[in-house]
Amino acid sequence: MAKTRMVTQFGMGTSIRSQNYTEAAARGIRDALWHNSLNAADAFGFPKEAMLIEVEIGVQHPDKVDSDALLGIFPYGQPSVRVVKGGLDVAKPDGSGVSVIANVAIIVSFDMAAAGAASTSSTPGQSAGGQS
Amino acid sequence: MSEQRIILEMGTGNDLYGMDYTKAACRAVHDALHHSSIVMFQSLGIDHHQMRVEVTIAVQEPDAVDTDAVARELPRGRAEVTVVQGGLNVHDEASGQTHVIASAAIAAMLDIDHDAWQLCQS
Repeated sequence: MAKTRMVTQFGMGTSIRSQNYTEAAARGIRDALWHNSLNAADAFGFPKEAMLIEVEIGVQHPDKVDSDALLGIFPYGQPSVRVVKGGLDVAKPDGSGVSVIANVAIIVSFDMAAAGAASTSSTPGQSAGGQS
Repeated sequence: MSEQRIILEMGTGNDLYGMDYTKAACRAVHDALHHSSIVMFQSLGIDHHQMRVEVTIAVQEPDAVDTDAVARELPRGRAEVTVVQGGLNVHDEASGQTHVIASAAIAAMLDIDHDAWQLCQS
């Protein structure tokens, strides 16, 4: 077993008027995903379903994010969502509320190893090399 | 061993008041680059110099882009810059101002031996 990080994607999303933290997070996820076309699964000959997708979201009110609603954005892979206190809320000039900014990081990994070592490896493939 | 595209990064940049196509192109490259980090080079112990980087810039005046200056913005891998007709210019007749918008597509290419890596059995 060796969960190996391949690519980290970054995004930012906002909810300007409705203070919808889930929508801000969803826009941040789309910003991160749709700036990139990730070919890592094909490049290594792995099925896309083997992609382990860790989603980390920073907003000022983590409890107001509906994590389950965010999972449906991902077209493939095995997503999981973690929400922490972060992002930024900006007070509106008329005092009627805040504009919400969500920061998003999406970490794509595979449980993989150099060929021949897959069943015995227990550490990330730092020294695996494999480019023979 | 065959060359594979591991990621296509896309971005946009502009130069609002200088009509500097090279500056817009460089900003598009930064936008494309900084929405992802290809951590597999560290994870798998691959030297980033093995990566070939195909950079395509699109602006309305391709000849006005300094491709060497754009190539210097790529911190890793071996960059090749191509400029094509595209992007968008936004012109204001009243003020005579033109805003220049550039698109950037950055493909990271790497030789990968499919037989060298496999998924772990879960």
